[in-house]
Amino acid sequence: MKRIGLIVNPVAGMGGSVGLKGTDGNVEEARRRGAVPHATDRATAALGRLAGKTDLVFITCSGSMGADALKGAGITDFEEVYRYTGESSQADTKNAVKAFLKNGVDLVLFCGGDGTARDVFDITGRDVPLLGIPAGVKMYSAVFAVDPASAADLVQAFDRHRLRDAEVMDVDEDAYRANTLKTRLYGIARTPALAGKTQAAKAVYEEADEERAKAAIAQFVDEIMLRGTLYIIGAGTTTEAIARRLGIKKTLLGVDAVRDRRLVATDCDEKTLLALADKYPDTRIILSPIGAQGFVLGRGNQQISAALVRKVGIKNLIVIATPHKLAEIKHLYIDSGDPDLDREFGDSLQVISGYRIAQRKKIHH
Amino acid sequence: MKTKILLEEDQMPKKWYNIQADLPSPLAPDLHPATHKPVGPDDLKAIFPMELIRQEVSTDRYIDIPQEVQEVLHLWRPSPLYRAHRLEKFLKTPAKIYYKWEGVSPAGSHKTNTSIPQAYYNMKAGIERIATETGAGQWGSALAFATMLYDLDCTIYMVRSSYTQKPYRKSMMHVWGAECIPSPSTKTNSGKAVLDKDPDTPGALGIAISEAVEDAATHADTNYALGSVLNHVCLHQTIIGQECREQLAMVDDYPDVVIGCVGGGSNFAGISFPFAGDKMTGKHKDVDIIGVEPASCPTLTKGVFTYDFGDVAGLTPLLMMYTLGHDFIPPSMHAGGLRYHGDSPIVSRLVHDGVARAVAYHQSEVFDAAQTFARTEGIIVAPETAHAVKGAIDEAMKCKKTGEDKTILFNCSGHGNFDMSAYDAFYSGQLVDYEYPDELIKEAIGRIPKIQ
Repeated sequence: MKRIGLIVNPVAGMGGSVGLKGTDGNVEEARRRGAVPHATDRATAALGRLAGKTDLVFITCSGSMGADALKGAGITDFEEVYRYTGESSQADTKNAVKAFLKNGVDLVLFCGGDGTARDVFDITGRDVPLLGIPAGVKMYSAVFAVDPASAADLVQAFDRHRLRDAEVMDVDEDAYRANTLKTRLYGIARTPALAGKTQAAKAVYEEADEERAKAAIAQFVDEIMLRGTLYIIGAGTTTEAIARRLGIKKTLLGVDAVRDRRLVATDCDEKTLLALADKYPDTRIILSPIGAQGFVLGRGNQQISAALVRKVGIKNLIVIATPHKLAEIKHLYIDSGDPDLDREFGDSLQVISGYRIAQRKKIHH
Repeated sequence: MKTKILLEEDQMPKKWYNIQADLPSPLAPDLHPATHKPVGPDDLKAIFPMELIRQEVSTDRYIDIPQEVQEVLHLWRPSPLYRAHRLEKFLKTPAKIYYKWEGVSPAGSHKTNTSIPQAYYNMKAGIERIATETGAGQWGSALAFATMLYDLDCTIYMVRSSYTQKPYRKSMMHVWGAECIPSPSTKTNSGKAVLDKDPDTPGALGIAISEAVEDAATHADTNYALGSVLNHVCLHQTIIGQECREQLAMVDDYPDVVIGCVGGGSNFAGISFPFAGDKMTGKHKDVDIIGVEPASCPTLTKGVFTYDFGDVAGLTPLLMMYTLGHDFIPPSMHAGGLRYHGDSPIVSRLVHDGVARAVAYHQSEVFDAAQTFARTEGIIVAPETAHAVKGAIDEAMKCKKTGEDKTILFNCSGHGNFDMSAYDAFYSGQLVDYEYPDELIKEAIGRIPKIQ
């Protein structure tokens, strides 16, 4: 029996259709501009595929925060553990997830956007996995299924032993409305991994298990690290595995600098990194693509700026990612803020995906 | 215009061609892993019959194929040579494309050309059982078939992840009466050591080799057999190229380009050595000989020409060859297909001397070529063979540009009927373009043993 906590952010996505680029704090304005809520429909589309599955038990909230979507999908046998009144708020989302955890859930299935993902993650942390049915304006976080149908497939195949890391992204809404995308890595959640996706080909070169894959990548990076060279190491759990192998403690969500297996600087900003690159002419950057879209530069690793990459040189960028991550993302994206630099990357990039093995991955321009 | 060019049974070559006779200088000797002195017959006789040891070092130009071996080979040999009219038309190339179809053997690939004589010589030497390893199962099934014919027992250590994922090759081995054991196993000390450390390991070809060698070395009635790399294996495969030369002569042709895929090098050796001999002896100086390898394991294009071990543990003799380093595949990893860190010492030497050259391709372009071939000529080739198809198509497309009507010959080494999951992956967009990060490695690594 799998216990699924379902939460719908009923106003998610409303801002997008009327040009607001986000709904947080703008529900009234979105309504005034004629936006219609559609998150419940998205949730119902996913849940409809799960109706009649006897191994699933749904735990949810009242009305449009969950119960309506379940009823719409023909699922009537569920536990309602949180009630809200008036317009649902951020606090309601967090309190509802707290109620789920109190009642015991194996997975939190939420319908919304990046804002909802952050609110859910604030409560679950890495203890309980989460999965998003995409319904928001912005979905840069890697916890979202491609569409409601895929979300249903993932719920059905859910196995708490088959999880992967997924970045939760924080987008500055005010900057976004002013047409500049400022994202930062908010946290790294656990989310269901697609079964068998990396196993189908004849030659299985890589580790099937994600933790083994990270260890294999770390083993390789350890092997190719040169004495005297400064390594700027980006955010995330794949890069963290390298630090673990070297026996140092890395800033999970930030950028550190390492030389001769020792930390030189932690949680660096762009200025610090530029100064370090000045000091050490032989510098390399090791980083992993971030988020649902697979951004190498421009999302979540902003400290690694265009100026820094130019100083260090594109050829000294070592991109790493697990086969699981690479199976989830079709292309890599590069948005360094310097379109000329982005173009210099060419059409594809080598991504280290295991011990002495890499994948050639296309870049989307 | 003929589509199939066929030889009669009595036209099948009665001798293997030994290219060692035509090398301008002898091959560098294999070295003992401990003493680094050249290995002698005594070092090898614990695991190989004397006749195969003799063939390994022989410099006689031709070696007789025993009558009893010829009789078995007649089950499917001489194999057909095809003119790829439909592929040529599809490509709109002025080139003539011929392919040698080795998928007609009972096990579905060229591997039986050597499994039969190897089983035969072991039977003659009074051996009762052969131990070997197999990755995806092609070699294991070919040896299972051969040992059955000569009434030998056969123990096959199959990489565990393949054992569970590719059940039908294992089923073939069972039909032919062989014992197939997932590796690592508890039957050997090397297997036990790996399992103690990591009970959930998916296995690796290097571990399976160590288990099979240990099994053979510790049982007096048991020998070891290898499906590629070694000189005698390449020798047995030369029947392919010799037949091709006869078949092409029947239509008054001789190849300008000869192509084969390369993993350990035996099928490439089979199609190319007779032509490489013609090239070295000045009969056909201009024939272009191309080995095609995967970008994920680019031994000939990115490797180093040096002495290295043949296995992960460093138990085998040191061979002078192109290598990515014997620790290329760490024990915790599984490998299939053309992923072997080294290459046949003779193939390596030919590439090093410029008699042959090598190219490397990514998987998706290789499967794209295999699809083109299946949709024109009908045959669904093995993923390994698809590399040769891609090489041939690329050469034919060059001819289209230049207007040359070159004769292109490639070895269509096996069918892909048990590899459909790889095709499924291609169609579902899940096929991954693996490559070997050679620049990062070259900069940092000097682990290949330096012995000069």
